[in-house]
Amino acid sequence: MSASKKASKSVMKTLPKKFMWTGTRAIAEAVKLADVDVIAAYPIRPYTGVMNSLAKMLADGEFTAEIIGADSEHSQFEIAKHASAVGARTFVGSSGVGLAYASEPIIVTALGQLPVVAMAGCRSLDDPGNFGMEWNDVLGFRDHGWLMAWAKDAQEALDMTLVAYKVSENQKVLLPSFVAVDGAAITHISVAVEPPTKDGVARFLPPYKPIHPLDPIYGPVTKAQHIAPSLIGPELRRVIDQAMKNASGVIEEAWETYADIIGREYPAFLEQDHTGDAEIVLVTMGAYAKDAMYAAAKLREQGIKVGVVRIRYFRPFPKKELSKAVAKAKAVGVLDFSYSFGSADDSSVLFNEVRSALYDSVSKPLLMDFMFVGGREPAIEHFERSVKLLKKSIEKGKTEKLVWWPTLRGEDA
Amino acid sequence: MENVIPENDQLDWVIIHGRGVLNTGHAGTFARTLATAGVLSGRESYYYMRYDDSPERDNIPMIFYTVIGNPKINITLHEEVEPLGEIFSAIVVMEPTIMVSQTSQRALLFDGAKKDAVLVVNTSLSTEEVTGLVKKRCLAQEWHGKLVTLRARKYDANIAFPLLAALTKAWDRVALEDMLDALDSLGYSNKTDMFRRVYSDVEPIEVHINAQEATMARTRKAEQCIAPVKKITDMKVYRTYQEAAAKASSYAERMKMMPSWQQLPAGLIEFGPLPNKKNVGFTTSFARFLRPTINKKKCSDCKMCSLNCPDGAIDYNRVEVDLNYCKGCGICARTCPSKAIEMMSELLAAEGLSEEEVTTIEDALVEYGY
Repeated sequence: MSASKKASKSVMKTLPKKFMWTGTRAIAEAVKLADVDVIAAYPIRPYTGVMNSLAKMLADGEFTAEIIGADSEHSQFEIAKHASAVGARTFVGSSGVGLAYASEPIIVTALGQLPVVAMAGCRSLDDPGNFGMEWNDVLGFRDHGWLMAWAKDAQEALDMTLVAYKVSENQKVLLPSFVAVDGAAITHISVAVEPPTKDGVARFLPPYKPIHPLDPIYGPVTKAQHIAPSLIGPELRRVIDQAMKNASGVIEEAWETYADIIGREYPAFLEQDHTGDAEIVLVTMGAYAKDAMYAAAKLREQGIKVGVVRIRYFRPFPKKELSKAVAKAKAVGVLDFSYSFGSADDSSVLFNEVRSALYDSVSKPLLMDFMFVGGREPAIEHFERSVKLLKKSIEKGKTEKLVWWPTLRGEDA
Repeated sequence: MENVIPENDQLDWVIIHGRGVLNTGHAGTFARTLATAGVLSGRESYYYMRYDDSPERDNIPMIFYTVIGNPKINITLHEEVEPLGEIFSAIVVMEPTIMVSQTSQRALLFDGAKKDAVLVVNTSLSTEEVTGLVKKRCLAQEWHGKLVTLRARKYDANIAFPLLAALTKAWDRVALEDMLDALDSLGYSNKTDMFRRVYSDVEPIEVHINAQEATMARTRKAEQCIAPVKKITDMKVYRTYQEAAAKASSYAERMKMMPSWQQLPAGLIEFGPLPNKKNVGFTTSFARFLRPTINKKKCSDCKMCSLNCPDGAIDYNRVEVDLNYCKGCGICARTCPSKAIEMMSELLAAEGLSEEEVTTIEDALVEYGY
């Protein structure tokens, strides 16, 4: 028996069907269960673990797929794009500067409405050697028609990858999906994961049937053709716009179906923790939501009414849901692992998005931005302090300082 | 920033030290099996390697963690946990020269450890020798815990299992039954007998090192370590930061030596060392566990070692090894026509301790992990 088979034997004793897997391994299992046809690979940490696991699974004969090692991330995303155009179910992924280098095919994949699913292991954009976790690599593509889902842990990353195929391949959508997982915090930590059954996934996710594959058997078509902007430019954009609008309903439906068939339930857009009576709400995405919820639980014991909202989809952005979730809050703090230099109030990407979404809200809560950038990990203490700063703002009735860098040495620490 | 996880009493956090590639697979097996035992005992558990270390690089000091948590609290996911206070309740050393190697990021073996931490070392050294080393090198500031030493390879080519058995014996936080169940469920049932044998063979001893013994060395270090405050404008100022960081005895201390943002020059600049000065802020010796020693009687001064050294760590004019930069690759020993260079265990070269427990690359490839 090979080493990997030994390692993947389940922890049978008290927790049947659970495995100790890293986030990257969990995503690889999802790719296997989704019976993907073409995998394009090029290593970059923290994405690499997915490609290693998939290569091993294929070598061990666990499933069959074409795995193509590319010469760069640019070629890698090109391969996925073209394979998808031909009609294959494809999987690809990268991190940090790898995504930046592949930006041309990434953008064209969305405009060509090719339902590629890409894992994005969030990593700082390169100060060389910075392996820290930041969202800017993925958020760089927020405007280009990709769906963006943010997982909380390895289990959710697995489930989210399966749902990503379901949503992306829906003919009302046909947009590619990023499944974003926080580097290190999800990708490299092994936790107990329970994969769905093969039969369940087969029922949930039937094989991909493209309407117009780039294959002469189905009639000749041209994809990503040269266009004359004056003749068709805005119309093409509007098609993507509509697909993105359609995605919201499809996402909700897909998670409901997933719960019905697989038996694991998730709220579609927002995970809400004690937001019902919360005066203060922390809004964040990804793995550190877990830490934020822990900090909030501790503060609630001290009598501070604080809740947490974890945004699961950055695109489409759940404006309605978010407004509703913070309707009773007096202050909202965004725990943000991104930056947007020179943006309004010199704040960050998620914060700008949240503020823009809440502009029309009736309650108009006070807003504060807490930026955890540069890859230094926040501690529970930082989240607790953020809540206390929000509380102070409520007491004063206004926000004196909008943007905080809690992990920065000196100043805000 | 002290004790930011006040509930860490409720966590059983184990740190596993080893060397990249040489121990990566075994350390992975160790961490996974221990985490599985945690899950089987009904507690939320996880394991991970220290991501920044890049353990795919040969021989660099690398770390795995296993965290077994109390299900009542939510475990947090911290990468760099050493500065957070007293966290580790057990320390495992898979490769004994780790105890004397200077790393740029952490120098103390007990950095981040509880005062009653269990120490398990894979070594041919006796418990007295290891205790002596901990005292002399000031690896622990204060320690009242158990120590086990064993030669793991005598029991199994995959050193993870004998070391796990030794940990199980010395550490009261994990039950033998759960460990055996974990072996079963991961497909290592054939290791059970060996596991029981190690468990009955090893004899943990109690060690007491009080704070006073370590105070002298500690104070000396603290005096040397003063954070610079000047804005970095040239290499002279930059060098003061490098020197301060090089003296730091723990990761937390090193963090304090780093410049604030106001002191940084524009544009990701690192100033190089002054002419004829070494780059003290970036020594690269931490991958070395074998040290080249030159026998001057045999040396014909042909300069082959100096010319072939990939790190420029051997001076041309006076053939001498700069131990701050030597990675211990052994190319000098292999290219020396007079066979005047011998690769000697770091423990022997630095401390005169004869260490025979050396993991070979063949052992390492028993199972590639992570």
